Amino acid sequence: MNKLTLLFTGIFLTFGSAWVGLVAYPVANLGHLQPLPNEETGGVNPPTVSGLAVAGQKVYAANGCMECHTQQVRPDPLTTDIAKQLGKRQTVPRDEIREHTPFLGEYRIGQDLSNFGARQTDVAAIHRHLYSPKSVSPWSNMPSYSYLYEYRKVVSQPSANALQGLTGPRAPKPGYEVVPTQQAEALVAYLLSLNQNYPLPESPEPTAK
Amino acid sequence: MSNDQSSQPDTLNSAERATIDASVAAPVILFFGTAIFWLLFGSFFELISAIKLVWPCFLDGCGLFTYGRTSVVSLNALAYGWATPAAIGIGLWLTARLCRVQLARYKSLMAAGIIWNIGTFVGVAGILIGDNTSISHLNFPGYSTHILLLSFILIAIWAIVTFNQRQSGPLYVSQWFLVAGFFSFPWLFATASQLLIWKPLQASAQPAIAAWFAGGFFNLWLAPMGLAAAFYLIPKTIGRSINSQHLSLLAFWSILLFGAWSGTSRLIGGPLPAWMVSVGVAASVMMIIPALAVALNLHFTLDGHYAPMSWSPALRFTVTGVTMLVFTWVFTAINSLPAVSSVTNFSDITRGLNLLGYYGFFSMTAFGAIYYILPRLTGKEWPSSCLISWHFWLATTAVLLGVSVLLLGGLIQGFALQDIGVTFRSSIEFAYPFRLLAAVAALLIVGANLAFAAVFAGLHWSLRRPGTAPALIAVREENSQEPVAV
Repeated sequence: MNKLTLLFTGIFLTFGSAWVGLVAYPVANLGHLQPLPNEETGGVNPPTVSGLAVAGQKVYAANGCMECHTQQVRPDPLTTDIAKQLGKRQTVPRDEIREHTPFLGEYRIGQDLSNFGARQTDVAAIHRHLYSPKSVSPWSNMPSYSYLYEYRKVVSQPSANALQGLTGPRAPKPGYEVVPTQQAEALVAYLLSLNQNYPLPESPEPTAK
Repeated sequence: MSNDQSSQPDTLNSAERATIDASVAAPVILFFGTAIFWLLFGSFFELISAIKLVWPCFLDGCGLFTYGRTSVVSLNALAYGWATPAAIGIGLWLTARLCRVQLARYKSLMAAGIIWNIGTFVGVAGILIGDNTSISHLNFPGYSTHILLLSFILIAIWAIVTFNQRQSGPLYVSQWFLVAGFFSFPWLFATASQLLIWKPLQASAQPAIAAWFAGGFFNLWLAPMGLAAAFYLIPKTIGRSINSQHLSLLAFWSILLFGAWSGTSRLIGGPLPAWMVSVGVAASVMMIIPALAVALNLHFTLDGHYAPMSWSPALRFTVTGVTMLVFTWVFTAINSLPAVSSVTNFSDITRGLNLLGYYGFFSMTAFGAIYYILPRLTGKEWPSSCLISWHFWLATTAVLLGVSVLLLGGLIQGFALQDIGVTFRSSIEFAYPFRLLAAVAALLIVGANLAFAAVFAGLHWSLRRPGTAPALIAVREENSQEPVAV
């Protein structure tokens, strides 16, 4: 192998083969998926999400939530994700079309969040968890996102959206309150939107054995 | 042993070597020096992340230092601040030596080095202020990846020109790897930046491309550059030629072909067509072929000549690094089998294999190469063999400790995540002692890197009177026939 042109052509072809298969193919075949009409509600599957939830994707990315949380339910019987009730069916490409970046994740240092919005609907509880995870689950190794909240003195009337029922070292002193910033509101709206409990023909729910 | 001339690294005399080395000295030292800064920076952030994983209260409640940012900063600072510039520096020096060309326009390379570091700085700052793209191995915001690509284009132009001016003769195996690396990196980086960051595709198409990029970054960029150094330094240091041209050929083409397809194995069960994962698993398993070809080839080259490892820092680091590459590929092959990865995916095993591949293989090989190259560029010898010895043992202990606890802990964590009868809470508690030891390994790595930075600083600024004899980390055997590297 002493000719540069020969070497170069060989590298081009081997590298190019994978580029065609793993880059060009997804661009052509997976890059233009459409939501499917939902006959029951008249909407679409996956449902469209609010602008606030879309803004929350950016907060999710900025704080590296993906470093600890996956967002993918893997199929039966390869894994026990469905038996462990992380979701009712496998996550498929069409589930991702509302996202800017697919937050599939590489680690389950924390729980899977693909269907977080289906498990937890209490906004106040999610805020408490983000502000002070250890006050909700003492064993949790999740860091506090208190920097997405404003700790301030109550002026005349307490704010309507101040966090209630905080305990532990991060609880506000009397006369003070903890109020979510816009980022925290957006993040919670995004977390609530994580819900894959709609039918897709390419991902049937496994039937009970 | 093959007597083919292309199994000889080069046939220059020492005066010609010195002229070529002197012509590339400035840009190579620039790349190495800045790389060592980012190495310290990145390993320090890795230590912070490892501590936060076992003790979440550490630096808690501060946006700049939340775990999701520190761990991303450490990975990207090490990948783009340390590993890539180190690979570029090794590549520049090897290209000039093997093409037997004196560097003419080094100003464009100096500019490339400065631009690259500006890009890395902007990228790290971007992540810390909250512009993380959340694409693994490509977390730098779009405005910094433009800068990095501009810098690499300058380097690629230089590499093309140099290869065209090369003095005729057979291409040495290191040159194949250099061409492959310098060709693959810009293609990988530009494709992934364009399709995932600058003008992002619909998210449904992104996972396959992101996995292709992450796999390619290691197998088609860092691995070829590290092996280019190993295939040059090992024969040089022991004064023998590479054992088998055929094994070199097999290793080279199998790395390129299977390495390019291997990335998607990590997405088992994920939202992409099943055939892509199957191809990725098959390619990852086939990486056993280059692992064996590299291991056998270098072993037969070194057979009976392992002794210089005890005194030559370059050889000791390089051989250790390549050994870890072989283990990385073998473990990755085992870990990508569906029966295994359905349990181990999402566990700490991924962290363990990253540590083995990026630090155990690439950083160790790069350390070896830098120990070999810098005295030849500066005309000074390393100031302290004691610190080099500390560097080696701290780094090796850290990798062995970190990898074994992360693999073992990851296995237990993986079974806990898989078992229907075990709660999620238990998976955290089971992993805790192993993560604690992994934090100790991160501390040892910081120590090793500090020792390396100290010898580099000592060489560069002559804090101590530089040694006049080569810094050997053990006494050479009197009756040894092996030459110390020339």
